Amino acid sequence: MKKTIGLASATMLALSVFMAGCSGNSGNNGSNGNAEVKESSGTGNTASNVGQAEPEKHDPVTLKYTFWGSPNEKKVQEAAIKSFTEKYPWIKVNTLHIPDSYTTKLTTMASSNQMPDIGLLNGDVALEWASQGRIYNIMDFLANDPDVSINDILPNTLYYWEEGKLAGVNGALEAFALFYNKDAFTEAGVPLPPTKADEAYTWDQFVETAQKLTLDQKGRNALDTEFDPKAIKQFGITMPLWAYMNGVVSNGGQFVNETGTEFKLSDPEAAEAIQRWADLINKYHVAPSPTQSKNIPSGANALSSRKVAMTLDGQWSLVDLGAAKKLNFGIGVAPVMKNKATMTLGEPIVIFKDTKHPEEAWMLYKWMMNPENTLELQTSGLWMPVLKKWYENEELVAKWAAGNPAHPDGYQDAIMRNAFENGFPNTSYYVKNLSKVNSIIDPALEQVWLGKTTAQEALSKIKTQVEKELKGVYTER
Amino acid sequence: MITGRKLWNKEARAGILFASPVIAGFIIFVLGPMIASFTFSLSEYNVITPLKFIGFQNYANLFDGTDPLFYKSLGVTAYYVILSVPLQILLAFMVALLLNHPIRGKTFFRTIFYMPTIVPAVASSMIWLWLFDPDLGLLNQLLKVFGISGLQWIYSENLAVPSLVLMSLWTIGGTMVIFLAGLQGIPRHLYESVEVDGGTWFHKLFFITIPLMTPTIFFNLVMGFIGSFQVFGQAYIMTQGGPNNATLFYSYYLYREAFEFSSMGSASAIAWVMFLIILVLTLMVFKTSALWVYSESEGKR
Repeated sequence: MKKTIGLASATMLALSVFMAGCSGNSGNNGSNGNAEVKESSGTGNTASNVGQAEPEKHDPVTLKYTFWGSPNEKKVQEAAIKSFTEKYPWIKVNTLHIPDSYTTKLTTMASSNQMPDIGLLNGDVALEWASQGRIYNIMDFLANDPDVSINDILPNTLYYWEEGKLAGVNGALEAFALFYNKDAFTEAGVPLPPTKADEAYTWDQFVETAQKLTLDQKGRNALDTEFDPKAIKQFGITMPLWAYMNGVVSNGGQFVNETGTEFKLSDPEAAEAIQRWADLINKYHVAPSPTQSKNIPSGANALSSRKVAMTLDGQWSLVDLGAAKKLNFGIGVAPVMKNKATMTLGEPIVIFKDTKHPEEAWMLYKWMMNPENTLELQTSGLWMPVLKKWYENEELVAKWAAGNPAHPDGYQDAIMRNAFENGFPNTSYYVKNLSKVNSIIDPALEQVWLGKTTAQEALSKIKTQVEKELKGVYTER
Repeated sequence: MITGRKLWNKEARAGILFASPVIAGFIIFVLGPMIASFTFSLSEYNVITPLKFIGFQNYANLFDGTDPLFYKSLGVTAYYVILSVPLQILLAFMVALLLNHPIRGKTFFRTIFYMPTIVPAVASSMIWLWLFDPDLGLLNQLLKVFGISGLQWIYSENLAVPSLVLMSLWTIGGTMVIFLAGLQGIPRHLYESVEVDGGTWFHKLFFITIPLMTPTIFFNLVMGFIGSFQVFGQAYIMTQGGPNNATLFYSYYLYREAFEFSSMGSASAIAWVMFLIILVLTLMVFKTSALWVYSESEGKR
């Protein structure tokens, strides 16, 4: 029982909504910041006096850049920004790393007029804010830029809030693939998974492979008649259940119709795909249930501890896999139901309307878009580039997707080319009111993953409820 | 007369001056936000776009079922309150009775029972997540001995709320201490007179202890009501409102509306409805209190 101060606390709760709006995040823009600006512009002047004769004289500009991410991402992004300020010494960039509750914090900053100039933003939030006029149209910058054009950028990294109105380009592209422990395959005498999309496992082959790799305490696999599903030592496969669209699209299904007015997950193809995922858990016992997953370490540790043999996961897990010392891992292409498909995702960087320096913000934007400046994030396996030429030009590909522990053989086929050729955008790129819609879908699917109900039944039941919250799409995908 | 008024004025001024931190605090942190929150509740507001007045639409959306989760979360919360408050009071009272006896190691046991209360909510949630784990959790391992297996605890729609109630019984230490204080305030001579009359422990309990404890029970009941209505941490940390919204407690529902869906308008409306519900319920408890709470100062009613 909570010890609270009675009625007053009931009121306080009502107020907390407001309070959050008041407590501004007075991060980096104190007098300190100003002092540093002077300092850095000072060195800039000396540099231009001594060295290259710079005809233009720039007024000092300070930008605020907000982002989230792991300590590693923080380090590399800050390094990238440092090299940016070295190249353009009159621009000072204050970085503000917000590891969690990002949207909440930014909303708070918006309410107290302390918005950053440029920053990462969740895709669905970016689209919503853009349609409310709080974010610049990146197309306007691209149109007048000699260095980058819209055709240089991967379509699946673009967040359009209306036709021709671009809220942002992803910081990075991500896609899904199979990651596995090679030893688990060798010991079970199972050939390694294919890496080319054309040779991908069919669903049945995939289930069978997973069965062979699922072992109980006595070492029997899931095809054995004596197999004990209550005492599983090594699961064949785990997958992030929120990424179910991987299955749905591969099976020819959709989330909503083109105009975003009709809920399509309850259609037979989509429901069948989701059922197949659930069957991995409840029928074949080759994947952990949501409750069992809580006891399984994530990503690299799951594979190296042999709790699971394969994971269907986002390519960002490479950063851990590559760093894992004693893990002999491999990459395979995601299984195919009917169509080759891998969900691509990523969150956009946006330029906020509040900025007083859109020109400089765009300079930083371009800087972050170029893998040359953030190469460590690409080579470590965390990010994939957003510019097309980094997939097409052999020389550029070699710079990030080869010759390092995070990008072993098979990477280029199983992830890079598959994402480039068969990637489809996840729902946050186009569905309006997505968080509300998902708040209805997720509890329903939870029942499916737990085996309480069939996918068809659960999804048909919520169809009308979801359609009440569907507000269309930003652009047709 | 005039000097008296002057004096009063002077005193009043000094009084207000001394009370001013509290008054200012109240205006800034309670009254102001309340007014703001009420204004929000009459508008559509997502922080990043200007406020748009829509009258009582937010309230209408709640009550006419446009928001399907309002009644669900009310129901879930009511279920939790009805289940947890009586159990907490009963258990805390019984433990307090036991610990009020002159037994050996009394202080030790009091400490043990109080300790969970000072454990931070996040830490105790983590502990209970492990205890509740269907596969490896201690609870299921224990039940296995009795041939019961496979309870899903917080992962089951039916058991989720009872599980959290069970967990809440772990932190009755605060209530228990208040009961203990109450028990020690009962004059010994009353018990002695029961003994003289040949009464047993049963008579002592029902004719002395419980009647004299009613004010304490009343206090704990009100606090329990308010605390349980605002249960949040468990839903936020352990279940995220699931499974299938079975633990979508009202506070968590409010939080989600405000900070996940950025609808400050409807979140404020939800908060005001909660405020009114708790107010009405508390008033009801107060009204009925005259019937069963013994009050020494007012004598018999």
